[in-house]
Amino acid sequence: MNAATLALRVEDIEAGRKRTRRLRFLAYAVILIAVAWSIEVIVVRDTDWSRITLASLLDSAHRFTQLDTSVVPELWEPALETVVMATLATVLGLIMSIPVAWLGAANITPFGKASYAVGRFLMTMSRSVHEIVWGLIFVSAVGLGALAGVLAMAVRSIGFISKTIAEAIEDVDPKPLEAIRATGGTKFQILWFAILPQIIPVFVGNMIFEWDINIRRSTIMGLVGAGGLGLLLFRQMAMSNYGGIAVVILAVLVLIILGEIASHYARRAVI
Amino acid sequence: MQAVLEVKDLHAGYAEREILKGVSFTLGPDDFFAVIGPSGAGKSTLIRCVNRLVEPKSGQVLFNGVDLLKLSYSEMRLQRRNIGMIFQEFNLIERLSVMDNVLTGRLGYTGTLRSILRMYTKDDIAQALRLLDRVGLSEHVDKRADRLSGGQRQRVGIARALIQNPKLLLVDEPTSSLDPKISREVMTLIREIAAEFHIPVLCNIHDVDLACDFCTRVIGLQDGIKKFEGTPAELDKAALQDIYAMEVL
Repeated sequence: MNAATLALRVEDIEAGRKRTRRLRFLAYAVILIAVAWSIEVIVVRDTDWSRITLASLLDSAHRFTQLDTSVVPELWEPALETVVMATLATVLGLIMSIPVAWLGAANITPFGKASYAVGRFLMTMSRSVHEIVWGLIFVSAVGLGALAGVLAMAVRSIGFISKTIAEAIEDVDPKPLEAIRATGGTKFQILWFAILPQIIPVFVGNMIFEWDINIRRSTIMGLVGAGGLGLLLFRQMAMSNYGGIAVVILAVLVLIILGEIASHYARRAVI
Repeated sequence: MQAVLEVKDLHAGYAEREILKGVSFTLGPDDFFAVIGPSGAGKSTLIRCVNRLVEPKSGQVLFNGVDLLKLSYSEMRLQRRNIGMIFQEFNLIERLSVMDNVLTGRLGYTGTLRSILRMYTKDDIAQALRLLDRVGLSEHVDKRADRLSGGQRQRVGIARALIQNPKLLLVDEPTSSLDPKISREVMTLIREIAAEFHIPVLCNIHDVDLACDFCTRVIGLQDGIKKFEGTPAELDKAALQDIYAMEVL
């Protein structure tokens, strides 16, 4: 390349880079404007600013800091129930997620586009209905109690677990699959020996993550009469006992931190 | 002639396993050193101790008279700009274009904000194009790196190292991911470029024939100890047996 053509091409490349840069800035500007507009409409115009004063904020904060320790003895049983509900729901959700992920992973789905669509539809359905709504559905189906809560959370869990498993399956390294196929392995053996070991870390990580989400979910399952810490929380709310509410929330926090610690060791053990 | 790189009694490794056990050598301004030795001898660790991608335990690494091991993180960063590195698996950013990959070689000279906005100077772009032309990739400037073949990717890696204006090239098994013909082409290119830009080279290479054909001097490592140093002509069967500690066919 001689000096003249080089100079020309540099101009060319510079111009191209400027163009893409401008487009990028334009995109950023559009996003910024959209965010600013949303804040204006939803927050700025829709809030009764006259109600918010420093005193009212401090007063609210103060009410929550007056911890009501008389609630503590009532915590143990529902806390245990919450953990059991979340665990059961996660395991049940996981079991139901496996076939859904199998259908919804484009590279292993058994009947092409049709079964893929079914899998993806099931995932979307699980995710697009709120856990409280699932709770209402199951309460009307199996009556009040923890079972309705477990079923609601399990069905709600399918969406996330199966989607992440399906995506992990789609992203597996194809080389081990080729090797197992070359040895004369069956489709199931390919799945078991080449795909499964690759997705185990995602599988375990997301299951633990979903469990931790389910602990939080089970705290509000009380709203539809499905037991756990939620029932206690709503009782305290009904009594406007802010100190009691704070204690229950702290209990939830402690549960989640314990879950986080447990998940750290579980991940290390498996991965 | 003053040495560019002087490594003295270099030790590296973890508490339970020593990888380098006191390696010393001196690299002059026109040298093209090959480091050979069996897998696990410490070749990669040795090369990475020079730019401190691996932190050595003790010893000295004098680069143009400056002991790199005594530098703070930010001082070391400035020195790294003067040391180009070429990798076995190319280590390109697959989702960036060839041009942007080469320009990452200028990051040491580009401020954080400018680099995020990808606002490299016109001189940098001109130099990147010149180097891409030099390594034979002027037709692939806008392609994404993952669209290139192995040999082409290594050429991008070479251009990325060169655009730093390095005073030393560290080359880590440049041909292990390439077929024999492309390997010789890549080695030829590295040798030509080293001569053209007067850059001394320290090159790990497990292929003894390539080492002898392209390098001016050979260092033989075995289990973290320097077993041999000499010209390719001096590397006879006995020396190879010593390095590899086994019968050489």
